Amino acid sequence: MASLITCPHCGTRPKEEFSIRGAALRRPDPAASDEVWQAYVYVRDNPKGRYQEYWHHAAGCRRWLVVERDNFSHEVFGVVDAGGAAETKSQARAGE
Amino acid sequence: MSLALFHRHVLEDHLSGFEANANPNHLSVVRRPAIFSVLAHRGQGAAVRTALSSVADTHIRDCGPEEWLLVSRTSGAAAVETGVAEIAGASHVDQSDGRVLIEIHGPSVRRILARCVALDLHSDVFVIGASTNALCCHVAVNLARTGDDRFEIVAPRSFAGSLFEELMEMGREFALTASFSRD
Ligand SMILES: [Zn+2]
Repeated sequence: MASLITCPHCGTRPKEEFSIRGAALRRPDPAASDEVWQAYVYVRDNPKGRYQEYWHHAAGCRRWLVVERDNFSHEVFGVVDAGGAAETKSQARAGE
Repeated sequence: MSLALFHRHVLEDHLSGFEANANPNHLSVVRRPAIFSVLAHRGQGAAVRTALSSVADTHIRDCGPEEWLLVSRTSGAAAVETGVAEIAGASHVDQSDGRVLIEIHGPSVRRILARCVALDLHSDVFVIGASTNALCCHVAVNLARTGDDRFEIVAPRSFAGSLFEELMEMGREFALTASFSRD
């Protein structure tokens, strides 16, 4: 487990301050089919290696973050605020 | 039937009767601080921060992006609320009865806190006036440096007893004493 996470708001903090909330997947459209929602809520790939996860900085700034890390080597590649990440994504989608 | 309401500090049973003369390392509990939680509306962060700094007799504690605690030892909650309510683009909640304010100071204060706070508190990194939310004794608190060897902790009221006992345990080696603040 990566034991130090550098929060973009609070700086480097121990993992005990955070709560890991699972893979950072794009939320389906509210009108999406039950199958799509079932897959989003219950079916996870659980990949080995590099992937993105939601981490909630529960004992710090209380912001939701997206942590990109390798769950095999424990290396952390980057941490961004989830709100900022979502805005960047939706801007990219609008520009598509 | 009349109902008599009176203020009783949550740490009363931990402190009353046990108060000793202050040693160099001392923890003091402020009896009735005013503590407000303030959140800026979207995009108003910088303006609200500036406005907060002009509320009389208060100190700003950073919590997260566009969120602060406004703390006062000398002004009552009503006075602080009047000042905060005038600020445009912000929402506030009175936390004075929901949080406790603890000050810890002395030559060994960093060694005591190093046992229960996983932050680098060296004065080059965590300068006087710095503040942040962090874990202290497994409790989510706001920690601020108010002097070279002086820190303030704002903690949730319901965790105050456990936090207090743990801090005293961490400070036992350094003869940490405790009392209610006299100011
Ligand atoms: Zn944070």
